[in-house]
Amino acid sequence: MANQIDGLKDALVGLDMYKVLDKVKAGLDAGVAPMDMVKDLQAGMVEIGDRFARGEYFLSELIMSGEIMKKAMALLEPKLAGVDQEYKGNIVIGTVQGDIHDLGKNIVAMLLKGAGYNVIDLGVDVPAEKFIDAVKENQAPLLAMSVLLTGCQDPMRDIIKAVRDAGLDVKVLIGGNYVDEKVKEYCGADYFGTTADDGVKVAKQVFGA
Amino acid sequence: MSDKKILYQERLNRFITAMDVGKPDRVPIRLTLSEFLAKYAGYTLQEIYYQMDKNIECSNKFIQDFDVDTVPGPPSLWMGGIHDATGAKYLKFAGRELEKDKQFQFLESDYMKAEDYDDFIANPTKWILTTLLPRIHTEFKDPYRAHLSLIKGAAGMVMNQGMLAEAGKRWAEEYGIFPPFSGMSKAPFDTLGDVLRGLHGIMMDMHLCPDKLLAALDVLVDHNIYYGMATAAGDTTLPLFMPLHRGSYPFLNPEQWDKFYWPTLKKVIEGLWKHGKRTLFYAEGDWTPYLEKIAELPDKSIVFHVDMTDMKKAKEILGGRFCLSGNVPNTLLTYGTPEEVSDYCKKLIDEVACDGGFIMDAGGVVQWDAKVENVRAMIETTLEYGVY
Ligand code: B12
Repeated sequence: MANQIDGLKDALVGLDMYKVLDKVKAGLDAGVAPMDMVKDLQAGMVEIGDRFARGEYFLSELIMSGEIMKKAMALLEPKLAGVDQEYKGNIVIGTVQGDIHDLGKNIVAMLLKGAGYNVIDLGVDVPAEKFIDAVKENQAPLLAMSVLLTGCQDPMRDIIKAVRDAGLDVKVLIGGNYVDEKVKEYCGADYFGTTADDGVKVAKQVFGA
Repeated sequence: MSDKKILYQERLNRFITAMDVGKPDRVPIRLTLSEFLAKYAGYTLQEIYYQMDKNIECSNKFIQDFDVDTVPGPPSLWMGGIHDATGAKYLKFAGRELEKDKQFQFLESDYMKAEDYDDFIANPTKWILTTLLPRIHTEFKDPYRAHLSLIKGAAGMVMNQGMLAEAGKRWAEEYGIFPPFSGMSKAPFDTLGDVLRGLHGIMMDMHLCPDKLLAALDVLVDHNIYYGMATAAGDTTLPLFMPLHRGSYPFLNPEQWDKFYWPTLKKVIEGLWKHGKRTLFYAEGDWTPYLEKIAELPDKSIVFHVDMTDMKKAKEILGGRFCLSGNVPNTLLTYGTPEEVSDYCKKLIDEVACDGGFIMDAGGVVQWDAKVENVRAMIETTLEYGVY
């Protein structure tokens, strides 16, 4: 039965949208477990992330694969109802208040999802309360924040302080193009990242998986 | 000649000599300060987005206090009122949707759909007027309001341009100083990728409808040359400002860059150069992998601005044929000390500016987070240490 979806992962890695969608449809028609297909697609996303880390893939490939994944999941999700997705853990992510740059954040979120985490994406221009509420509600061990504007690094420091003051047991990861060790120290974050795959690396450390 | 006229001429010569890759009397300073200026002058962001006299006043205040070669700012490129007049759905402004001291926000989306390509290619202006504007402005719900909103918007635009022209005269006469550029344009790929199709849209188009995308990029070449010359009101003394977005590393893979980004950008820059108009190639982010290609441009046709590009490589590959600018890290201006900033500028002067063709500036646009004493250190170091 599995042969309907043979090559599903490779089709995704090869960015062949029509082939991916055909295979998913064929798989569903033939009664392949949707969760098996999701796993194959996730494996594809992990491979794509690795290729990006090695400099073989660029943002265009990441974005294209994200769009294909979205279309494939739209076919699969209705069939997944009732099936328990096994996640490695919950991660809250968002772009900090005042900043609307979201391309980087979206890619980080996509790779984290691909790697099997449950990602709660709060969008852009996110204030402290919203981060705090989401971490509490989901008991998330990891909070990831994106910041592109240097002018929003100070507000990010305030957000991190508010998170700490709220007494939450959560590791804070920050990322963006002008983020470095100095910014991490200044803002009081636990980790920092400057590329999308850094997010996955840190998540692996935090969740041990 | 009055003192101010002499000063003006001195500064202009210094700037132009550097852009012509020569050695002026000292390294010129051009600072790309945006919201920094509002904070320095004590205005809220709402004030500078909505009151154009205050926006301009920010620049006045700075040039009264600091000895720089070109006018920084004004801080806001936008005029909130124009967008309010037409009911822009793609922008949020301080004092309206946002608190009064918050940065404006742009909502990126695929305002142009993949299905729109054919109409766009056939007649872009017509498509913009009949399809795009109604789609992205609330005031276009009925023709009566649409007409009024366009009249209000255009009137606002003209008033703003008039005030800027007036300010330009005053800067020259009273302070002996000129703006760092005249006119603005974009890479055709950015026109489509930033505003019309959005990043996701254009990335999909490269895979799904490459021919239409290429045709649309071609259509934009003449338009973007014309737009540059028109917004510069024909001036060819100062360079044209071209902020470059989606061509930085690692947006596109090398084949995509060669096929979709570069050919039409090159045509726009060459087209402008034929009119005698130089381009300030404001390379946001990292452009290191593309330096060899950029070197194909006619000598002196651009000033290559360095944000996160490898400065050493830029100097190696472009130096001697093109003026370079920038590279003082924004995080250094925020978290560093004046000594560290000063050391960084000295290093740039020693290693990059040494044989001319260099303009001092920060890597990226300077926002409110930069420390005043660090901006001062940058200026003072250049004035003292940058003398050839
Ligand atoms: C595209 C862009 C825009 C788009 C944003 C569209 C969108 N939907 O996001 C538009 C045109 C709307 C825009 C607007 C503005 N922008 Co802008 N923009 C850029 C640009 C060109 C690219 C950013 C980008 O998307 N890169 C691609 C993504 C994928 O990369 P990334 O975001 O860096 O993310 C990667 C890593 O940083 C990391 N990462 C990011 N987040 C996270 C989070 C975690 C947890 C981890 C682990 C990793 C991580 O992984 C990502 C993938 O590898 C940059 C310059 C540049 N090349 O960096 C300027 C830039 C960021 N913008 C800048 C500015 C000033 C502005 C404006 C203020 C412009 C103005 N004055 O008119 C407005 C701000 C509006 C606002 N309130 O936020 C400046 C900031 C300067 C500064 N001092 O901070 C920059 C640096 C340009 C410059 N050199 O001056 N911008």
